[in-house]
Amino acid sequence: MDELKVSGVNISDLKAEYDAVQYIVIKLGDEQYGIDIKFVDNIVRMQHITRVPKVADYLKGVINLRGEVIPVMSLRIKMELPPDEYTKATRIIILKLEQHGTIGVIVDEVKEVVALEDEEIEKVSYDGKDDRTNFVSAVGKHEGELISLLDLNAVAMENK
Amino acid sequence: MDVNQYLEIFLDETKEHLENLNAQILVLEQEPENADTINEIFRAAHSLKGMAGTMGYKRMQALTHDMENVFSEIRNGTMKVKSNLIDTLFQCLDALEEYTGNIQETADEGTNDNQQLIDQLNQFLKAGGAVEEKKPAETAKAAAEDVSIEKWKDIKLGESEKVVLSAARAQGKNVYGLTVFVQESCLLKAARAFLVYKAVEEKGEIIVCNPPAQDIEDERFDLDFSLLVISDCSLEEILQVTRNVSEIDKVAGAPYEFEGVTEAETTAEQQPAAKTAVAAQPQNAATPKANDKKGGGKPVVNRTVRVDIEKLDVLMNLVSELIIAKNSLVSASSAEGASGTGFKEQIEYLESVTTNLHESVMKVRMVPIESVVSKFPRMIRDLSKKLDKKMELYMSGEETELDRTVVDEIGDPLMHLLRNAADHGLESSEVRLQRGKPEAGSIFLDAYQDGNNVVIEVRDDGNGIDVEAVKSKAIERGVITPEQGDNMSEKDIINLLFHAGFSTAKQISDVSGRGVGLDVVKAKIESLSGEVEVKSQLGEGSTWIVRLPLTLAIIQALMVIVGGEKYAISLGGIQTIEDISPSEIKLVQNREVIHLRGSVIPLIRLSKELDIESSKSPEENLVVVIVKKGEKLAGLVIDELMGQQEIVIKSLGKYISKCKIISGATILGDGEVALILDANALI
Repeated sequence: MDELKVSGVNISDLKAEYDAVQYIVIKLGDEQYGIDIKFVDNIVRMQHITRVPKVADYLKGVINLRGEVIPVMSLRIKMELPPDEYTKATRIIILKLEQHGTIGVIVDEVKEVVALEDEEIEKVSYDGKDDRTNFVSAVGKHEGELISLLDLNAVAMENK
Repeated sequence: MDVNQYLEIFLDETKEHLENLNAQILVLEQEPENADTINEIFRAAHSLKGMAGTMGYKRMQALTHDMENVFSEIRNGTMKVKSNLIDTLFQCLDALEEYTGNIQETADEGTNDNQQLIDQLNQFLKAGGAVEEKKPAETAKAAAEDVSIEKWKDIKLGESEKVVLSAARAQGKNVYGLTVFVQESCLLKAARAFLVYKAVEEKGEIIVCNPPAQDIEDERFDLDFSLLVISDCSLEEILQVTRNVSEIDKVAGAPYEFEGVTEAETTAEQQPAAKTAVAAQPQNAATPKANDKKGGGKPVVNRTVRVDIEKLDVLMNLVSELIIAKNSLVSASSAEGASGTGFKEQIEYLESVTTNLHESVMKVRMVPIESVVSKFPRMIRDLSKKLDKKMELYMSGEETELDRTVVDEIGDPLMHLLRNAADHGLESSEVRLQRGKPEAGSIFLDAYQDGNNVVIEVRDDGNGIDVEAVKSKAIERGVITPEQGDNMSEKDIINLLFHAGFSTAKQISDVSGRGVGLDVVKAKIESLSGEVEVKSQLGEGSTWIVRLPLTLAIIQALMVIVGGEKYAISLGGIQTIEDISPSEIKLVQNREVIHLRGSVIPLIRLSKELDIESSKSPEENLVVVIVKKGEKLAGLVIDELMGQQEIVIKSLGKYISKCKIISGATILGDGEVALILDANALI
């Protein structure tokens, strides 16, 4: 199976060094988003997704992950961005959420793992008009770049 | 001793005993003089008391103790079984069930003393007659003592053991023979024996153990076991430590006399003869004893292992994985045109092995439905009193087996159907007599296997379903309009009963017609991939037929292609596959139908249902899969057939549960996921 290890990062070392939360940095278009590593079960390459009829459009279907059938959603469609174009860099991040179980999320690219300390994270004020910010709980600053930290439960929540 | 590890065993066995008691007391009500039944009841009550005592559940013990006293009086013939006594006993059983329930949830029996029940029992005892309780116990004891209790004398020594014993004697050590009798009521014989074993080992060295230590550990012994011990201690000391172990009935011991190595030859010849004679004796004595107690019941030692259902689930998953792997090998071999017959042979062999393995694992998970239905006679009895109708329940096929998960779930729906039959189905006694039916109504519960399904029928000889009453009720409730009602067939109207919020009982009784309706029964059974239908004849009774799949995990399926996507349809519902030319399609009420061998079958275009473009042009012949749901037929239009395959059902998970026509997914040989179409939901 084509699973990928998060390359070059030794997780236990990072934990020992900082008392910080680690995020996997992904790209959607030009923006960078962070996913809390404790929810990430696995990162797999793009593979054939079996379409499931009569479900919400952002649910792309199901994949086979080591014998388990896992639903996969498109983060782009959920966030009302232009639909995915699958490239060699496209990945499916397998999330394990308490409320929703195991879900795969399609992202354009997985960049790196960063550890953000409290002072590097800034809460964003909620803007009711823009749906997209509903999924972002905070913004992290890392090496001069901004990373929008995703609220995964909001991402997984069904659209009304 | 920490008893927590025995809690599960305790709960299992308590439930078993309670079920047994329920069943036997019902028999007792019918045949108050049946000695076998009385003995069985006494034995079960006694075991319950012993177990509750061991586990430290004082209240439960107190109640069972008084019950046992009552049974003892009945057994002695000093007390007669009366209907009010039976009622009290059933109340006691309910109280015990409550205790058990509490223990299961909180490991504590709760604080209900049930003093009232105990008082009632004592009143029966007082009224019942003289105290002659001890007599049978004494005679039993006397009888037991007639059989030699010094069983260690029967132990046959091996050559090496003789050498050890001689050496020990030469060193001036004592050799003792011990026979330990465990109390009959003892629950964990092996544990007790182990404690004795350990206690003795502290005092000396155990040379011989009869039966062997391994058998004792596995509880493969009756009530006694014998030891030969070398020790420096006195005999009395050793006897004392063994007596200190609880639940030990008695211990016999004496210095062991044996012949030295030199005399081995002559004794060896005599001993086997003597041994068989001695061995035969207690066995003869024991067999009739065991028989009248257990009424020809279960063997002393069950050759079973209790396994956590989760472990079986893991095993089942692994087997599923294996089948998927096998399927991919099969498809790989056919795709590459497999060179050499040897390879093909091996694959066929692998196929048969995995199929057998799958069947065996499935069988392990199967349990008889008995565990569910055994509580029904009692329920019907109670209902009979409550509703003041006379009725009898006749059951057959309790040994029919179903997957454990199904059995656990099927109890409530069946109970509901039975209650319905008792409450709505059967007429009151007067009406029955007027109609020339026997006064007591009959309810039948029949279970049997039918191909890959298990069928459970609940039948009554009551009034049957009044179609007109159902219709007017449905109209009244706004379920259908009067015009609709006129156009509906009798069958469709009867099916309205399964509609949510539908209760035809004119009076809302305690028994049914409140809350849980037939719609819930139907939903539950359908969630188990089963179906329920009803047949009824007004005035003659109705039959509710519940059909359940034998297994939930792996099925035979037809693989089809619709618009380039692969789907599986369970083979169970498929009647035939037809090749239909577009000209044969007719329109009835603006719906596409075909006329096939005398029946008109509606067509369902799967491509439309699945929101996908069919890959076939409209002029081409259609491939139609004819599926059956109950009596209804429908034709599913597909693009292409792939073939038949064994598939492993995987859940889509709750995240994608909205799609009704998809019942699950499966993983194909090439690792791809295919969805399973629920033909029942399509019709």
